[in-house]
Amino acid sequence: MTKRRVYLLALIVLVGPLFYTLPISKLPVSVQQHYYNVFGERAYREPPAGISNVVAPLSIDEICSPELAAWRAAHDIEGVQITAVADCMPDNPWDIAVAVKGANNVSPATLMKSLYALDTVEKSDDRDGDGDPDLIRIRLEVMELNGKSPDVPGPVPRFEIAPGITPGLWVFAPKSRGMTTANFETADANRLIRLPAPVIRVEQGDEVEITLENSHYLPHTIHFHGVDHPFTTPQGAGNDGVPTFSEHPTMPGKAHTYWLRPRHAGTSFYHCHVQPHSHILMGLQGMFVVEENRPGNWLQTFNVGAGRVRAASVAVREDYQREYDLHYLELDADLNNRIQDFTDPRLISRSIHRDYDIVERRPEYYVLNGRSFPYTLRESLIVSGAGENNLLRVLNGGNESLALHFHGHKPILTHRDGVELGAEFSEQRDVFSIASAQRIDLNLSTVNDGRDAYGAGAWLLHDHREQAVTSNGIGPGGGVSLVVYEDYLDEHGLPQTVGGLQSLAAFFSPDYYAGKLPVFAGMGPHHFTDVAQATWLQRHRSVLFGLCLLIWMLLLRAFLRSRRV
Amino acid sequence: MLNPRASWRTLALRIFLLSLAAHFASVAFAQAPHHAHHDHDDHAMQMDANGMVMNSNTENLPQDCASVSDDVSIDVQVGREFARTGLTYGFSAHVWRVPPCARLRVTLRNLDEVRHQWMVHGLPKYLYPQGMFHLEANGRREVTGTFIVPSDDGTYLVHCDVSHHMEQGLKAQLLVGRGAGDLPSIPGVSAQRRPDSYE
Ligand SMILES: [Cu+2]
Ligand SMILES: [Cu+2]
Repeated sequence: MTKRRVYLLALIVLVGPLFYTLPISKLPVSVQQHYYNVFGERAYREPPAGISNVVAPLSIDEICSPELAAWRAAHDIEGVQITAVADCMPDNPWDIAVAVKGANNVSPATLMKSLYALDTVEKSDDRDGDGDPDLIRIRLEVMELNGKSPDVPGPVPRFEIAPGITPGLWVFAPKSRGMTTANFETADANRLIRLPAPVIRVEQGDEVEITLENSHYLPHTIHFHGVDHPFTTPQGAGNDGVPTFSEHPTMPGKAHTYWLRPRHAGTSFYHCHVQPHSHILMGLQGMFVVEENRPGNWLQTFNVGAGRVRAASVAVREDYQREYDLHYLELDADLNNRIQDFTDPRLISRSIHRDYDIVERRPEYYVLNGRSFPYTLRESLIVSGAGENNLLRVLNGGNESLALHFHGHKPILTHRDGVELGAEFSEQRDVFSIASAQRIDLNLSTVNDGRDAYGAGAWLLHDHREQAVTSNGIGPGGGVSLVVYEDYLDEHGLPQTVGGLQSLAAFFSPDYYAGKLPVFAGMGPHHFTDVAQATWLQRHRSVLFGLCLLIWMLLLRAFLRSRRV
Repeated sequence: MLNPRASWRTLALRIFLLSLAAHFASVAFAQAPHHAHHDHDDHAMQMDANGMVMNSNTENLPQDCASVSDDVSIDVQVGREFARTGLTYGFSAHVWRVPPCARLRVTLRNLDEVRHQWMVHGLPKYLYPQGMFHLEANGRREVTGTFIVPSDDGTYLVHCDVSHHMEQGLKAQLLVGRGAGDLPSIPGVSAQRRPDSYE
C-alpha cells in the first residue's frame, strides 16, 4: 500500500516538470493548437542577455611603434635625398640610402645602420659618363617565414600578415647579415625578411647581375617575367629560370648569377619558376621596375615591402609628385600552411608539390604589399596632396584576376605590362581588371574636377571581388587600403576615423579575425553584440523532457504492476 | 665618384660598436649614435668580404676564472655535405667539449655558396653583449674568432640563425667542463621534441 502511494505521488509531482520542459514548438502544429486551446499561452521567457565585448582602446604605441617615428622625416644620408613620409611604419632611411648608393659606396656607419650585407647591392662603372653607376650587382636569399620548428610550437620566424594571422611563406629577401629575427627577445623576423619580395629597380641600359643565394632547403630559380633578358648569360649559363629547358635549378646551399641589360623601361615581375603552381604562390615573387635612362639617376635598388618609393627616379620625378608600388597576392592556407606540418624537406616537398591540388584552391587571405587590413594602414596607404599626380605601379602576383576599385577617383591607365599605351589607347576607369601576373601603371590624379577626383577625403581602395576585402571571410580585411589626402591623416599617419582610434582597436585584435568579436561591437549599449550563452536548462530542455517522460512511464509501469500483486 | 670595389673588399672593415645592447634590444638602434673606431674594445664587430666576427674576447676573464685554463682551437666546417638524413645543412661536428675557462679559437669554414653562422648563446652578458659570440662566413669563405668560456659546467647552444638553418640541421652544442645535459634536436645526439610523422 505505502509503495503504491509513493508511486502515485511521484507520478503526480512529475507532471509539473513534464509540462515545464515540454518542447511545444517541436510538436505537430495541430497538437500545438490543442495545447494552447487547453492551457492558454505560456509565460514570457527572457532570451539570453547580450555581452558587452567592446574592445578596449589600443594605445597608439601598440599600433605604430614610437621608435620608428623618427624614420618618417626627410633624410639626407651621404647625399641621398629621402623624402618625408607620414606612414605609421615607414621604411628605414639607412636601408634606402644603401639601396641607392650601393653597400660598396657608403660609409661603414651608414651600412651598420642598415641590415644589408657588404655585397647585397654593389654599384660601379659609370660607362656613359652621365653621373650614375651602370654596373649593378644584387644578391638575393631565399627565406622561410612562419615555418615549423622541431623544438617549439608556433611558427618561426614569425611574420603576421594581419593580427594573429601567420600563413607559411617563402620569400626572396635582399641578402642580410646577422640574425633573422628583429632582436633576441622576439620570434618576429627582421624588417628585411618579409612578404613581398623586395621591389627591384634598375635603370634602362644598366648591366645587372643578380645572384640567387639559395639559402633554403628546396631548389629554386628566378624567372624575369617581362624584363628584357637573353636566354643565356654571357658566360653561357641558363638565364630564363625555367628548369629543364633553361637551367638546372639552384640547389640548396648553391648560388646562381643571372645577367640582364634591359633595353626598355617598364613595370615587370620576377618569380621562382620551379614547380610554379606552388613556389610562386608560396610567395617567391616580386616587382621588377626598369626606369628610363636619365643623367644622375641613382635608383633605389630595393623597395623593401613595396609601397611608397622614397627616393624616386629622375624620370618619375619629372611627371609625378609621388610613386607607389602595389603588389597584390592571395594566399590559400591549405598550401601555405603545409610547411608548418613538417621539418623534413622530403615530406614538405611531397606535401607541397604532390598532395596539394591547385584545382581545389580556395584562398582565405588577400594581401597588399604582404599585409592585410588593418596592417595595410600602417605601411601601404596611398597618401596624396590635392592637385597632384601619383604614379601607381600595380602587380597582380596572385592566381586570380582582380578588380581594383578606387573610391573618389578615376585614374588613367598609362601602361600595361610595362608598355606605354599612348593617349589614344589609355583608359580612365574606377575599376581595373588585372589578370594574373599582369602589371598596370596608373596616373592617380587628385585634381578635383569631378572625374579625376571628387575632392579631398580618406577614400577606400580595394579589389572589388567581395572575398578580397575579407580575411578568412571576416571583413574588413584582405588588401583593403585607402587613398588618403594629407589633411585626413592623424599625427601617427593613420587615416582619421569617424569614431576616433577606438573604432580601429577591434581590427588590431587577433580575436576579431578569429571570429570572436561581433562586427558591430561598440556601436550600441547591447545591440549586435554577442549573446550570452543560454542557461543549462534552456539548452537541454528537450533532453530533460525526454528524461522526465521516461521516468514518468517507468513509474507508471511500476505503479500498475504493484496493483496486480 | 665611385670607390673601386676591390679596394673596399681588401680594406678590412673593423667596426666597434660601443653599445651592442642598443643595437639588438631595439629596432630603433639605427638612430642611436654609434661610434666606429679602431681600438681593441672587446665588445666588437669585425666585418669584411669573408663575413663577420662579433664579440671576440681574447683577454677578459669570466668571473671565477683565475687565468685562461687552456688554449683550444677548433676547425668547424659547414655545408650541405654534412647534413644528416632528413635535414639540409650540417656542421662537421655538432658537439664540442672544452675545459672551464678555456680560450676557444674557432675557425668556421663555409663549403656552401650561401652564408652560414656559428653563433653561441647564453654566455655571461657582462662580457658578451646579448650573451652571444658570433661568426658569420660568406659562401666559400672562412672566418676565425676567439672567446673565453665561463668557469662552471654548462651546455651552450651553437647555431646558424639564417632562417630555418637551425631547423635544417645547423644546431650544435658546446659543453664546458662536464656540461649540463643535452639540448633537444642536436643532429646525431638528441631527438626532436616535435618530430615529423613518417606514417
Ligand atoms: Cu622555387
Ligand atoms: Cu646557415
